[in-house]
Amino acid sequence: MTAFSIIGKSVKRNDLIDKVTGSAKYVADMQFPGLLYGKTLRSNVAHARILRIDASRALALPGVKAVLTHSDVPRVLHAGSPHPRSASLSCDQYILDDKVRFWGESVAVVAATSEEIAEEALGLIQVEYELLPAVFTVEEALRPGAPLVHDLGPGGNQVLDPVTCQRGDVEKGFQEADLILEGDYEGGRPVPAYMEPNVCTCQWDPTGGLTVWISTQTSFMVRGIMAEVLGLPLNKVRVLVDHMGGGFGAKQDLFQTEFLCALLARKTGRPVRMEFTREETFLGGRTRHPARIWLKQGFKKDGTITARQARIVYTSGAYGSHGPGVTNVGTTALASLYRCENIHVVGSCVYTNTPIAGAFRGFGVVQAYYALDIQMDEAAVALGMDPAELKLRNAVREGDVAPSGHPLIGHGLEDCIRRGKEEVGWEALRSRERDEHGPVRRGWGLGCEMHGSSAYPGIKEQGNAIVKMNEDGTVVLFTGTAGLGTGTHTVQAQIVAEEIGVTFESVSVVHGDTDAVPWDIGAFASHTTYMGGRVAQMAAAEVKAQLVARAALQQAVDPSQIEVRDGVVSVKGTDRSVSVREVMMPKRGIPAPQFVGSATYHPTKSYSFAAHFVEVAVDIETGAVKVLQVVPVHEVGKVIHPVAAAGQIEGGIQQGIGHTLYEDFQIDLKTGRSLNPNFVDYKMPLFMDMPTIRTVLLETAPDPGGPWGAKGIGEDPIVAIGPAIANAIYDAIGVRFHHYPIKPEQVLAALQEREGGAQ
Amino acid sequence: MKSFDYFEPHSLEEAVGLQQQGQGRGCWLAGGTDLLVQMKEHVRQPGLVINLKKIRGLDDFHFDSVTGLRLGALVTAREVETSPLAHQHYAGLARACTDFASIQVRNRATVVGNICRASPSADTLPPLLADDASLCIHGPRGTRTVALEGFCTAPGRTILAPDEIVTHVLVPAPAPGTAKVYLKHGRREQMELATVGVAVSLTMSRGRCSRLGIVLGAVAPTPLRVPTAEALLLDEEPTRDRVHAAAAAAAQACQPISDVRASAGYRRQMVEVLTRRALVQALEVLR
Amino acid sequence: MNQVINLTLNGEPRTLMVACHRTLLDTLRLEGGLTGTKKGCDVGECGSCTIIMNGKLVNACLVLAVEANGAEIITIEGIQRSALELHPLQENFIKYGAAQCGFCTPGFIVAAKALLDENPRPTIDEIRFAMAGNICRCTGYTKIVQAVDETAREMQENGREAL
Repeated sequence: MTAFSIIGKSVKRNDLIDKVTGSAKYVADMQFPGLLYGKTLRSNVAHARILRIDASRALALPGVKAVLTHSDVPRVLHAGSPHPRSASLSCDQYILDDKVRFWGESVAVVAATSEEIAEEALGLIQVEYELLPAVFTVEEALRPGAPLVHDLGPGGNQVLDPVTCQRGDVEKGFQEADLILEGDYEGGRPVPAYMEPNVCTCQWDPTGGLTVWISTQTSFMVRGIMAEVLGLPLNKVRVLVDHMGGGFGAKQDLFQTEFLCALLARKTGRPVRMEFTREETFLGGRTRHPARIWLKQGFKKDGTITARQARIVYTSGAYGSHGPGVTNVGTTALASLYRCENIHVVGSCVYTNTPIAGAFRGFGVVQAYYALDIQMDEAAVALGMDPAELKLRNAVREGDVAPSGHPLIGHGLEDCIRRGKEEVGWEALRSRERDEHGPVRRGWGLGCEMHGSSAYPGIKEQGNAIVKMNEDGTVVLFTGTAGLGTGTHTVQAQIVAEEIGVTFESVSVVHGDTDAVPWDIGAFASHTTYMGGRVAQMAAAEVKAQLVARAALQQAVDPSQIEVRDGVVSVKGTDRSVSVREVMMPKRGIPAPQFVGSATYHPTKSYSFAAHFVEVAVDIETGAVKVLQVVPVHEVGKVIHPVAAAGQIEGGIQQGIGHTLYEDFQIDLKTGRSLNPNFVDYKMPLFMDMPTIRTVLLETAPDPGGPWGAKGIGEDPIVAIGPAIANAIYDAIGVRFHHYPIKPEQVLAALQEREGGAQ
Repeated sequence: MKSFDYFEPHSLEEAVGLQQQGQGRGCWLAGGTDLLVQMKEHVRQPGLVINLKKIRGLDDFHFDSVTGLRLGALVTAREVETSPLAHQHYAGLARACTDFASIQVRNRATVVGNICRASPSADTLPPLLADDASLCIHGPRGTRTVALEGFCTAPGRTILAPDEIVTHVLVPAPAPGTAKVYLKHGRREQMELATVGVAVSLTMSRGRCSRLGIVLGAVAPTPLRVPTAEALLLDEEPTRDRVHAAAAAAAQACQPISDVRASAGYRRQMVEVLTRRALVQALEVLR
Repeated sequence: MNQVINLTLNGEPRTLMVACHRTLLDTLRLEGGLTGTKKGCDVGECGSCTIIMNGKLVNACLVLAVEANGAEIITIEGIQRSALELHPLQENFIKYGAAQCGFCTPGFIVAAKALLDENPRPTIDEIRFAMAGNICRCTGYTKIVQAVDETAREMQENGREAL
C-alpha cells in the first residue's frame, strides 16, 4: 500500500487566513465607485394578479435612480435552477411576472444611492392586486378543482408527473410477511439559514460585457442563464465568486435578483448591488421541501423485509426549482438503505402558494430516510429485536442495486453500525437500568443513511480541471468548483500535490472566475471531492507525465524508472535525486516548455454511509428534548483532510438537530404570510444547545470513481441524525414521533395522551 | 432606518426640554438594543433620538442593606449579571439579566429599558415585580416615585408620558430568610425570548411563608402577579401540597395567547410546572 | 442630520462624518473600510457584527455610529498582533478547523478575544456561554470550543514561560 505524503493530513486550509483576519472579501464587502443599492419590493399577498403598479412617487424621491416592474423587464420563461445537464427542469419562472404566487415574491426593484433611500422608495410604490384564491397545503392543492398556481406543467398543481420506482412484486411480498407496519410520516419546512445573506453586484463595461459578483454555488449556471435571458454571448458574461458565506445547496438557484441587478445596472449605467436582508433570505430564499410520506413494509419474523410500498409527496412551494430532482432522488432512495426485493414507491411534488422549496443538503433523502429508519426502529420493537441488529441484518451491501442503478461497492453501512455499537457500548446501553427518578428520562437511538456523491443519473455530471506547472516546479490548479466554506480548494490542492509528488504548499488554486477556469457544473450533491477532486487528480497526472518524461530524458533513464515525491525526483534503485525545481530549470539556456494538464470527467455515482448513535434527555414535565451526545460513524472511502471531513459531519449534525427539534419556518395557512422569517423566532440550536460529538471516520469501502477511493461527505450527516434523535426519544419515553420538528409541546401532549389512555 | 435628529443632553432638564421642543416625537435612547431594532423595522420612527448616556447619575448602581437596590437608567443587564451583590440579594433579577439575549446585547441593554419596553415577555419585570420594586420618574413637573406594579398597561405601553424619564428603579432590601428564583422557559438555552417566565420571591420566618411574590411573564398582556397563588402559601407552612396548589392557581390565573412560539394551552401548563419548580427551588435555597 | 465623530479604530485615531441614523456597523463597513465585521441579520441575533467597544463586546448593528464618538473600537482587523503575526486565536481557528465559510468567524474571534481578556482560562461551559450570541451554521461549534480552549491553554503556558 502506498504511504501518502499529503492525503489524510489536515494541512492548513488555504482560505482560512483571509477569513480569520477579516480580510476575506465577500460580495457585500467589495467597494465600487458610484455603487447603487438595489432593493426588492415583495408582495404582501399570496396569490394575485397585479393590476397596476405606480412607481412615480418612488422615482421622484431624490437619490432614486431606477425602478423596474414586470413591464420593464424581458419576459423570458426559465427554470429557477437551470442546471444545463439536468434531465428534469421545471421551467416556470419569469424575472418578474404580472402575477404573484406567494407572499413575499418580488414585485418591483429600486436602485438608489443609499440603502436607506432605496428602502424608503419601496414604501412609495403602490401596487394594486386582484386577489386570486390560493392553496397553502398539499390537501388544498390536490383537491379537485383547486386553484392552479401555474398554467403549465402536467396540471393539477403537479410540478412533474409522478415518479415510480418499482421492482419485484409488493403484493406477493406482503403476503409472505409475518408483520406488516404502515404509517404516515411528515417532514417540516426548515431553511438553510446560511450566514451570508444572498448578494450580487452587477456592472456593465463599455463593450457591453456584464460582470457579476455573486454568492453562488453554481457560477457557470448563473453565467449560462443570465446570458440566455439577457441575450448575451457567454464571453460577455463574467461571473466571479471568491469567498461565500455558506449555501448548503440553496445557493444553486437564481433568486431573480441576479437578472434584476443586471438590468438595474444597465438602466443606470452604474454598478448595482442587491443584498438580501435576513428576512428576505426566508421569503425569497429556498426551504427544504416539506413532505408527507406513507410507508408500509412487510417483515419476516427474523427481520427480513419482504415488501416496501410508499407514497411520498413533496411540497415545492410556488415554483418548481429543484422539485423534480428532489422527487426523483427521494423516491429512488426509498428503494435502498435496507434491502428489499419487492418495492413500489411513488413520488410526487406539488405546487402551493408558499415560499419556494429548493435544493438543500440531504436533497429529498432527509425526508425519505426519516420515515424509513424510524419505521425500522418500530419494526425492531414489534419483532422484539435490537434495532441495530435489525438494521445490520437488512443493511444494503456489496452488489446490491443502488438508487442510481449501479451495484454498491463494499459493506459501508454494516461497518458503520458495527463500529458505532462498539464505540458507544451498545449492548450494555440496551440492557442498562433506567433512572426513573425526577422529570428527566434518557434514551439512545440509532439512525442510518446512505447518500450519493454526484447528482447522477438526474444530472449527467461533468467535472473539468486544468493544472499547470510553473518553471520553478510550483503548480497551479484551475478549478470551477465553488468554495462554499467546506475547504474544497485545499482538498483539491492536496490531491494535485499528492498526485504529482510536490509539496502541498507548492500548489495554488485559481477558482471563481468563469473567464479563467474551466466550466464547472457547480458545488453540490456531495461531489466536490469525488468529482472535482478526481478530475483535478486526472489533470495533475498529465502534468506529472510531462515532468517525468523531462526528468527521464535528463537522467537518461526510462520514464518508468522515475519517482516523484515531496518535490524530489529520484531514479528508482539508485541514490540519484534532484528537486522538481531543478528538473524544470532551463537547460542549455532553454526553459522547460509550459506543462499543462487538463481533464474532463463524467462520473457516475458513489455512495457514502453513516450510522449515528445519539443520546437524548427528555423532560417529561415540559416536553423539552436535549441532545446530550452524538457518535457519528461515517464511511467515506478515503479521508483527504480529516479536520475538514469532521467539520462537515459536525456542521451537518447541528443543522439536523435543528430540523428535528427546533427549526420550523411557519406559514399562516389562511393568508400564506410567513410567520417567523427571522432569527428571533426561527430557532436554530446555538452553542449552548449543541451536544458533544465524537466523530468516527471509516475508509472501508473506497469507490474507484473518486480520488484514491474518496467519496462525498457533505450531505450524509444531516440525513442520519434525524431518525437517530426520534428513535432515541422513543427509547427515553416510549413515545413514537413520525414528524419533524418534534416540539416540546407535542412531546408533552403525547405523554399526556398516553397517560390519559392508560388511566 | 429613517433619518432623525440626535441629541446628547447633559441633564434631565435638558432632556425633557428637548422632548418638549420635539413635541413628543422623540425617543429616549439608553441601551438602544430594542429601539434600534424597532426603528429598523419601522415600528417606531422618531423625529429625534435623545441619548441619555451623558446625563450624570443615571449610571447609579447602589445597594444598601436598609434601603435596598437603586439602579440608574443606564445600568446594563450585564452589570447586574456580573454583580455579586445582585446575585446575593436579587438572585431572580440576576438570573433574568443572565438569561436574555447575548453578552453583546446585555452589554448595552439596560434594566430600565427592559422595563420601559413593557414587553409581555420582558425578563426583568417578573423578578422586579415579585420584589415590589418602584420607579423614580422625572418629568416637567418634577420627580415622582411609582410602584412598578401598574406601570405597564399593555404590550409596549406604560403610564409614562412622552416627556418623562424613568431615572431609577428601586428594589427593597430583602428580609432575612428570603430566596428569589427566576425560571424561564424557551426552546434554547440562551438567545431566547421567554415562552413563559416565572419569578418567585419568598421569605420564610419561623417555618411559615411570611412574604411571597409570584409573578408570571409572557402569559398575559403585562407581567402578572398572582395573589390567588400567593394566598395559598402566605402564613402557611409550605408543604408539598400547598406548593402544588399554588402552582395550579398560577396556571388558573394566567391569560396566555397562542403564537408562533407556543400555544396558550402549553403556556398554561408551563406556568404550573415552572411555578412549582421555582417555589421548590426557593425553598431548597432556604433549607 | 450628520455629525462628525472622533474615535479610535483599532488603535488609530479617526474622524468620520456620519449620518445620525446610521449604525456603527454600516459606518465601519462603508466609511471605515473595515468589512471584516459582517452583517448577518442586522438585529442583534447572529453576532456576525461583534466588535469590542470601550472594552465591551457589542453588536455593531445595535449601536448608532454617533454613539461611538470618543469610543475605542476593536474589530477583527485589530486582532492580529502585527502585519505578519496572527493572534493565537486566529492560528487555532485555522488549525482546528473552527472556520468553514468564514462569515461568522470574525465575530467569533472577537468574542473569544473578549472572553480571554476577561477570563484567561475559561471552562468549556464558560466558552459556550460566552459565545451563545454568535451563530455559526457550518461547524456545529465543536471545533470552535476546541480552538478557544486550546488558545487559552497555550496562552497561559506561554505566559508562564515568559515569566
